Amino acid sequence: MQLGFLVDLHLCMGCKGCEIACKVENEVPLSTWRLRVKYVDVGTFPETKRTFTPLRCNHCENAPCERICPVSALHYLDNGIVNIDKERCIGCAGCVMACPYGAIYIDPQTQTADKCTYCAHRVASSMMPACVVACPVQANIFGDLDDVNSNISKYIMKNQANVAVRKPEKGTNPHHFYVGGGNINLNPLASHRVDGHSLFNKITTLPVGGHH
Amino acid sequence: MATHEILAATNAVVTLDVALPGIVWPWLVTVNMWAKSIGTGVIFMLFLLIKKYPNQVGNLRFQVTVVSIVFIHIFLLFTLADLHQPFRMWHIFFYPNVTSAIAVGAWMATAFVGLLFLLAFLSFVKKNDVAFDKTLAWVVALAIPVTLYTAGLMSQCTARELWQMPTESAQMIFAALLSGSAFMILVFGNKLDWEVNKSLSRILALSAFISFILYMSEYVFGPMKAEELAAVLEYIKGDGEYAVMFWIGQWMAYLLPIFFIVLSRINKSKPILKFAAILALVGLWIVKHVWLMIPQLLPMS
Repeated sequence: MQLGFLVDLHLCMGCKGCEIACKVENEVPLSTWRLRVKYVDVGTFPETKRTFTPLRCNHCENAPCERICPVSALHYLDNGIVNIDKERCIGCAGCVMACPYGAIYIDPQTQTADKCTYCAHRVASSMMPACVVACPVQANIFGDLDDVNSNISKYIMKNQANVAVRKPEKGTNPHHFYVGGGNINLNPLASHRVDGHSLFNKITTLPVGGHH
Repeated sequence: MATHEILAATNAVVTLDVALPGIVWPWLVTVNMWAKSIGTGVIFMLFLLIKKYPNQVGNLRFQVTVVSIVFIHIFLLFTLADLHQPFRMWHIFFYPNVTSAIAVGAWMATAFVGLLFLLAFLSFVKKNDVAFDKTLAWVVALAIPVTLYTAGLMSQCTARELWQMPTESAQMIFAALLSGSAFMILVFGNKLDWEVNKSLSRILALSAFISFILYMSEYVFGPMKAEELAAVLEYIKGDGEYAVMFWIGQWMAYLLPIFFIVLSRINKSKPILKFAAILALVGLWIVKHVWLMIPQLLPMS
């Protein structure tokens, strides 16, 4: 069994329900996140549109975080999930530096690395990850990539020409796919948020959680 | 990273989590690399002196060993200080992941420290130069991977396109040669003949020259390799956040020391040579710091 995720970006409407569900389920502290819905505004007024892209750990088949972790706190489960043992983590932040997707953070409360685990604790109890349950439009599809009859496998086969992963050039073989993703929303260098043009005005910046 | 605003009407704090780049490995890691360069570099220089100028070595065997022990411990101390859970450091020895350069490096550094203390014992207690010199060869052999493992660690940070194993290895080795020769000139230069100082200055100048070429190669040709690398190098170009610091480092670590070494050889002046050594040691810290910081400024998601 190799568990994987697919997000159909045609369906995602940016409600951030998955983000909140993840925060609640995993008690993710403020200033850090396991799952974030990235907004990218495209175009010039009045011809504008907003894209929504849920970003989480890609549970790579060839995970740089697992390779660099000196104490195997980051490890593969038999079902393909890249899990983390917070009791073993020494907080060297090597994994944070190695992850090409910025998906790992240092938890400011435990001072250890943390990230999305595909809700491994729920999966172990035959439940779906919290973000999948929360999605009102079933944009998050979770399942076994090895099973040709699973929803995710069927979805990938049906949308073969339109399935993408983030940063394929890194050779990490992500177990996380997007339908309808493009350079604008999957490449962090393809867009930038200009200061003063955010969802909120008068923004002040807090320190990044868990850093020195 | 969280951002917030306070709404005057409700006095409520609106919080929005957004991913912004932050410095994960701070200046502590710069000190770590800088101190390790000196700690291994002086061992390389001691080996060279014993082979080339055996009558000049005298009691430098013990003194250089102590210098190496001190700087390797600075390296270890700052490594520990950088951990968010320093009291779990022992996990590296009991649950090691052999694919991790951090784990392999920790094991090698530990063995290196053990051998350094053996050298100190042989020179200070046993006063056995023959045994010291034989052991030193093994210490030098181990000092090479101890110097290089940080390059391996940086290259395992696949997210940071700037750090590639071939160039980082070369930079680490030349940083060790540069800082080792500079430290020997600065601290032990007065005890050594002018000929020995000249040899050390030659190593310093060549290391500086090759290192400068390596950095300039990345500076000019790096952007042609990858989009991420091009974006990272923008931080040291034009009005980039680290542009001024980058060039201060390049001048202090490499260009000015070469100039002052030439000047010192023309005038046969040890003070000028020492000044070049100070510039090289301070400049090396700046160069390493800039190279550590700039890839961390790039957004990953």
